[in-house]
Amino acid sequence: MELLPPFHVATPATIAAAVAARQRQATGRFIAGGTDLMVNLRHGLGDPAALIDLRGIPELQHVTAGPDGLVIGAAVTLAELAEHPAVTSRYPAIAAAATAVGAPAHRAAGTVGGNLCLDTRCIFYNRSAWWREANGFCLKYKGDTCHVAPTGKRCHAAFSGDLAPALLVHAAEIDIAGPDGVRRQPLAALYAEDGAAHVRLAAGEFLVRVVVPADPWPAAYAKARARGAIDFPLAGVAVALRRRGSDVDGLRVALTGTNARPFLLEGTDGLLGTPVSPAWLDRLGRLVQKQVSPMRTTLLAAQYRRRVAAALAQRLAATLGGADAVGHAA
Amino acid sequence: MTQAAKQVRSFRLNGRAHDVLVADNVLLLDTLREALGLTGTKRGCDGGECGACTVLIDGTPRLACLTRTQECDGHSVETIEGLAENGRMSRLQRAFHERLGTQCGYCTPGMVMTAEGLLRRNPDPTEAEIRAALAGNICRCTGYVKIIEAVEDAARGAP
Amino acid sequence: MTVMRNAREVVGQPTPLIDGIEKVTGQAKYTADLPSSGALVGRILRSPFSHARILAIDTSAARALPGVRAVVTGDDCAFTYGVLPIAMNEYPLAREVVRYRGEPLAAVAAVDEATAAEAMRLIRLEVEELPAYYTAEAARAPDAVLLHANKPGNIERAVHHRFGDVEAGFAAADLVREQVYHCAEIAHGQMELNGALVEYDTARDQLTIWSTTQVPYYVHLMLSRCLAMDMSRIRVVKPFVGGGFGARVETLNFEIITALLARAAGGKVRLLLSREETFLTHRGRPDTEVRLKLGMTRAGRLTACACEVVQRGGAYAGYGIVTILYAGSLLHGLYDIPAIAYDGWRVYANLPPCGAMRGHGSVDVRFAFEALLDSMAEEAGLDPFTVRRQNLLSAPTETQNGLRVESYGLGECLDWAERASGWATRHGRLGPGRGLGMACSHYVSGAAKPIHWTGEPHAVVHLRLDFDGGITLLTGAADIGQGSSTVMAQAAAEVLGIRLDRVRVVAADSMLTPKDNGSYSSRVTFMVGNATIDAARALRAQLLAAAAEPLGAPIEAIECEHETFRRIGDDGPGLPFAEVARAALAREGGAITAKGSFTCPVEFQGGKHKGGAVGSTMGFSYAAQVVEAAVDIDTGMVTVEQVWVAQDCGFAINPLAVEGQIQGAVWMGMGQAIGEETRYERGLALHGSLLDYRVPTIVESPPIALHIVESIDPNGPFGAKEASEGALAGFLPALVNAIADAIGLRLDTLPVTPDRLLEALAVRRREQRLARELAREPAHEQQGAA
Repeated sequence: MELLPPFHVATPATIAAAVAARQRQATGRFIAGGTDLMVNLRHGLGDPAALIDLRGIPELQHVTAGPDGLVIGAAVTLAELAEHPAVTSRYPAIAAAATAVGAPAHRAAGTVGGNLCLDTRCIFYNRSAWWREANGFCLKYKGDTCHVAPTGKRCHAAFSGDLAPALLVHAAEIDIAGPDGVRRQPLAALYAEDGAAHVRLAAGEFLVRVVVPADPWPAAYAKARARGAIDFPLAGVAVALRRRGSDVDGLRVALTGTNARPFLLEGTDGLLGTPVSPAWLDRLGRLVQKQVSPMRTTLLAAQYRRRVAAALAQRLAATLGGADAVGHAA
Repeated sequence: MTQAAKQVRSFRLNGRAHDVLVADNVLLLDTLREALGLTGTKRGCDGGECGACTVLIDGTPRLACLTRTQECDGHSVETIEGLAENGRMSRLQRAFHERLGTQCGYCTPGMVMTAEGLLRRNPDPTEAEIRAALAGNICRCTGYVKIIEAVEDAARGAP
Repeated sequence: MTVMRNAREVVGQPTPLIDGIEKVTGQAKYTADLPSSGALVGRILRSPFSHARILAIDTSAARALPGVRAVVTGDDCAFTYGVLPIAMNEYPLAREVVRYRGEPLAAVAAVDEATAAEAMRLIRLEVEELPAYYTAEAARAPDAVLLHANKPGNIERAVHHRFGDVEAGFAAADLVREQVYHCAEIAHGQMELNGALVEYDTARDQLTIWSTTQVPYYVHLMLSRCLAMDMSRIRVVKPFVGGGFGARVETLNFEIITALLARAAGGKVRLLLSREETFLTHRGRPDTEVRLKLGMTRAGRLTACACEVVQRGGAYAGYGIVTILYAGSLLHGLYDIPAIAYDGWRVYANLPPCGAMRGHGSVDVRFAFEALLDSMAEEAGLDPFTVRRQNLLSAPTETQNGLRVESYGLGECLDWAERASGWATRHGRLGPGRGLGMACSHYVSGAAKPIHWTGEPHAVVHLRLDFDGGITLLTGAADIGQGSSTVMAQAAAEVLGIRLDRVRVVAADSMLTPKDNGSYSSRVTFMVGNATIDAARALRAQLLAAAAEPLGAPIEAIECEHETFRRIGDDGPGLPFAEVARAALAREGGAITAKGSFTCPVEFQGGKHKGGAVGSTMGFSYAAQVVEAAVDIDTGMVTVEQVWVAQDCGFAINPLAVEGQIQGAVWMGMGQAIGEETRYERGLALHGSLLDYRVPTIVESPPIALHIVESIDPNGPFGAKEASEGALAGFLPALVNAIADAIGLRLDTLPVTPDRLLEALAVRRREQRLARELAREPAHEQQGAA
């Protein structure tokens, strides 16, 4: 038998009931597929008195594609998202990112909301209770030292969801439900660069849906990982690139796995108005290397994650930007 | 430590209705193995790492080590023990046996259930589709070569 | 072994495992699946310290907790255990000093998981921490505190072997090169988690254990020693076992601890380890540094080899002495090398103990050897296949260190691998980022000298014929998925001329089956196979004697084929097996038990030098393989596109299982080559999950084409040798050689993870830039670096 904390599970059928259930439980946690939270609970990371399962709420359950864009319920599974015809045909980067998560059984259970609100990861955090205690715990949970950067005061655990960058490059917005009703905001505003508090949701708030604008720019997602499946991203990169003639007319680059949050690369405006060329790709690569800040949160070297993030961004941009640039080596 | 309250959960297990009295914090893996004696479903890791506990929930491969029994209320659960009808091995079981898709056998139930989920959805998978479907099932013995052959054999063979 | 007169009906046929149906239907009962109603839950309290003197372990609060039935500590067992009689230096629960993070300190048995967990929290430790060492270098420092007082310098064993005139050999060489290689420590990663179920009968003082072991007899020995119980009071049963690969070839602490708990609680205890704890129990392949020097003539003939090996063995002895000896002794036996010098050091460190793992001792050294040979071949302008062919042995022969080679199919392996891979037209020509590499390897078919010498045969098998006409084969051999029970059944059926399904195998239950040393060093097919043939011949003789009268023919003129006894050459109806069996039972006075045995003759037991027994065997398997790899220089990812492997296994008794073993071995080599490694943070295992310990998935696992070479070993059962270890080691060098072919980069460190590969490429770019800059400066001496 595996010992789990003695939680009970609530299964609200409405948004209001879910909010109320969470407000009744000071230590309650929202849950959907549980592919990440159940593992963490098995490792003693958290002791919630209640889990509030959001999958029974109708507003969270569907993908719809219309003139206003793509609306994705937060409880839609990654498998459903990856196979949805509107997603595979018009938003291949989103389909690719959803397919890149874990393995099929994880994607059959894991949800869009869960992947976007995924806990950050670190070699000092995703450990058994015995291990963490032997190591004196850590800043993120029960301790006061970050073993990655012991002199600092901030947690450097890395956000490791695949979906976020693919949605960020499409300028996705999200609806958040809470005690004060439902509000809409850019997805990018959900995140903060703090591994111990990287999701900006108040108690009782949860993700209802993601709204992706119509007429997306051509986009792609690529993921660096040691194995061909199961692994979380060492670095994940989404690029959306619109061309006018041979010139780059619009460019968004988003990254995951390298920082405490997924983020949109800044300064891409400086790359507009010219074709993709080896020099252009060098500039993009430098931009990525400068803005990512991988730390020693994975077993593979942090420096590798910096390098490969740049290489993947260049590769995707080269492909989206035109065949003449393909084949450039970092 | 306080004990979580138990409730009756009802689900179809290998085609038959089952009621189990279980607390919300009990994993399906433990209910199957410890309460119901269905030990064919294996534990190979500390949560979501290896695929050995794969069962079908409503026909889809899922990890019993990350699934609470409570979640299965009202759903259908199938385990390796449910595949052989009247003691006759299913086509996948036969193929895994005859093609040596199993050596030590520990990953085999999860592997077979994942492949079963694949073939129900896609009766004629390509090799790439087989690899993609079995991507979360770790085998330490075979190098996967004969596992792929077994699934291909089962797909080609008559049901 | 003389060839059977019968045509091969059963052996040599691809045969599904006789216990395969249980596995695919979920009916197979592994240790954790056994009925355990009423069993107490066992848990182990593990050390959070790397190295510490134990001042006190206060268990009083835990003992007082309702529902706790037993608490044991080092005070409850004053006996050491260990697989080598000369190096038993481990306690099941630490006494006085704890030497690695994760070492068991105490254990509890309670009525349920929650109570056991609570009891663990109530145990108080008081220790005085000692300096800890996590590398061989640190442990060998002159001022380092000793892990074991009787081992100066923290050296468990130093080996210095000289065979032939090494200096003369290097002097005679046209090309001498030296290189240092490093292989990270790896783990077996067997899918079944460690665990044991023990039932102790207080009234009778009898104990039964079911455990996840490859060596039931060694478990028996160590339980008897550590619990001070007469062996006859202990019963060891091996249920289905979910792989081992060497992880379970010695008695492990949890087995003794579960037994201690069961006896203390006076009942039944089940102790199941987590994946993290299974990794902490470890016994994997040690972190190894190899300094290798080879001499070669212009034609590719090897003239000398000098090899230094340092293994970081972890905190206790385990198999360590054997591992460091294997690393040197298996420099011999693959090629004809006139002179070999070997210096090895096995070093203690404050980490979980290493042990035996598939290819025990040979793998990391073989990696170094075949990688250096490849680079020297390139330098000499020779094809890698040519170089290997220049150095083939000629069987029968005896190596410099006293190993006998009676059959040798390496040449044929090379021919097939070269042809099948299209080597001649593809090597060096696959374009940038893609390459072919090749390598050879070998392994023993069982250690010819047993670890525990008792004077008994090396293998014993019983065959029982009873009233129902079924043949029960009783063997102590532990089938852990490799298919040994199937091989035994095939061998018996073949000799007796009966259907395979008439043979039922009862294996590895000490109450019923004869002793067997266990499933390690690929000994089972060779030794137990020969013992099975011996037993089957004895039984056949009794059956023939019973058939002689009704057939009116002398025994030597009778044969049994397809379960029918006839005069040889007679095509009449003959006598059915059942009839002869009845006659034999009447004649022999009821059930017949025939015993067969096998012992490796002393002339096969190795050289006379110290440590000479390690590496000795009656037959070496040989393998040659070609790996095709693609290298992405932007991401550092290496993709193994295809493997072609040929192995000389003597004779394939079960070709289906031989294929599976070879594929599995090659693939396990791939895991070590591309991604697997243990990692520690100040002695805390960072690899304690299958996310962090990266066993390859099906996605990145390549097609493996294979060819079985049958050299028909004169001593093997039906000519068979080992099939499950020999091909592993070759993959590692074949891969780095393929990477060299693809991008011109010769790697000296494993595993080739993408971060290491990108870093190596960055280093090369810096060096090339430096070389260019130097070349632009005026040449002071001569024309720059080559």
